[in-house]
Amino acid sequence: MPNHSADRIARFQRLIVASLIGLALGFLVVLQLRSQAAVARTLASQDNTSVALLINDLNRANNQLIQQAAALSQQETQLRQALTAGGADAQAISKELQTLREVNGTTPVHGPGLQIRILGSLMDFELQDLLNSLRAAGGEAFSLNGRRMISSTSIVSRGNTLLIGGQAVSAPLVLSVIGDPEQLEPAADLSASSLQTRVQVDIQRKSDLTISEVINARPLIYAQLGR
Amino acid sequence: MTVLASVSLATFLVTGLAATQFRSQPLASSNRLARDEALRQSVNQLSDQNRALKARVQALQAQVKAGEDESARRSSAVQQVKALLDEQRAIAGLLALHGPGLTILLHDGVDPNDPADRSLGWTVHYQDLQDIISLLWANGAEAVAVNGQRIVPTTSFHYAGVNILINNANRLTGPYTVTALGDPSTLANGLGDPDQLAELKSRSRIYGLGLSWLRSTRLSVPAYDATFLVKNAQPLG
Repeated sequence: MPNHSADRIARFQRLIVASLIGLALGFLVVLQLRSQAAVARTLASQDNTSVALLINDLNRANNQLIQQAAALSQQETQLRQALTAGGADAQAISKELQTLREVNGTTPVHGPGLQIRILGSLMDFELQDLLNSLRAAGGEAFSLNGRRMISSTSIVSRGNTLLIGGQAVSAPLVLSVIGDPEQLEPAADLSASSLQTRVQVDIQRKSDLTISEVINARPLIYAQLGR
Repeated sequence: MTVLASVSLATFLVTGLAATQFRSQPLASSNRLARDEALRQSVNQLSDQNRALKARVQALQAQVKAGEDESARRSSAVQQVKALLDEQRAIAGLLALHGPGLTILLHDGVDPNDPADRSLGWTVHYQDLQDIISLLWANGAEAVAVNGQRIVPTTSFHYAGVNILINNANRLTGPYTVTALGDPSTLANGLGDPDQLAELKSRSRIYGLGLSWLRSTRLSVPAYDATFLVKNAQPLG
């Protein structure tokens, strides 16, 4: 009798577990269908120009990602080969360190690019949009009136004063950007055409531009590593 | 002014579309439907490819890191360079971080459906997000993410039609959550300053556009989901 009763309890427990799994799976399927429907709805409600522009950006981003993967793959091969040969490749690591210092603005750089001279003052959103366009066109290093800028450099208007990283900058504004001039110039021209209703903008191609200013990276006080 | 800039951009895009439409042959409605469907399928395919490529980049990053860790174990010279590399990785946003900070919530308001008001002031624009983020940096933010996308040194915001895109064509859709790590009080005081975000705050009052923030003792921001390539800038000297 006790065995009989234990069997019944075990069967009951299995039934409950199976029901719970079924319930959870059903819930997940509904959730998945709902989220797919939400994505489809947002895309379906868009005009064709938006969709076409999105395709253009996705293509560009995917090409960038393919190049990133190729570079990482090469770096990994270099590291592995050195390890297989019984050593360690300091060169591959130093190269990555240099790249990150350039990205973070913590080292002086030079290269081809544009020098954009703006004879007048800009509002914060006007400068942000100019930088957005140039970054999207592959701009790699920026300085404005002798100040290095990365995306975490604050750009705030206080009245008619433009504050870059908390410091006031005044006209004329000289923006140096390093990158491929072939790609940067159309982006700069487009931004200039909207600014030129108000201020004079002069764009010059430079075969070798120097940005010697650096950003002093702030130490992390509140943030800690890990999720 | 921000709204004015958006309207100008929208006008420019609409004019571009009109010009394109004008040049193209009129399509039968069945062809139009097929074209619309094909366009949307392309987005889905490219988005799938985008996700797969990011996963590949992240897997390769993990392999590179494993190779570097092993190299550092074998050579003290490499170990020293690797310590500097980890520091720069943290600055660049390649590592997840956690700590106290502020969560800012932002959502569209109500369309007044007023023919006299074509300002689109009821919607959240990318410039609004960028204004908030800039103010957070100005008030000592140490790391920022929007809807789970880390803001890194190369991040740019722009419109692809109605889509807000950042970091390798990541589409941001509302409601928006900005997460900032730093001193919660300093960050909150910066946003609360009546002289800052004046236009956004006024639109919040007029259109019911949602703008609020919450202090937290523990928040986290993810690592950037790709990496960086530098092709033109060279170290000086």
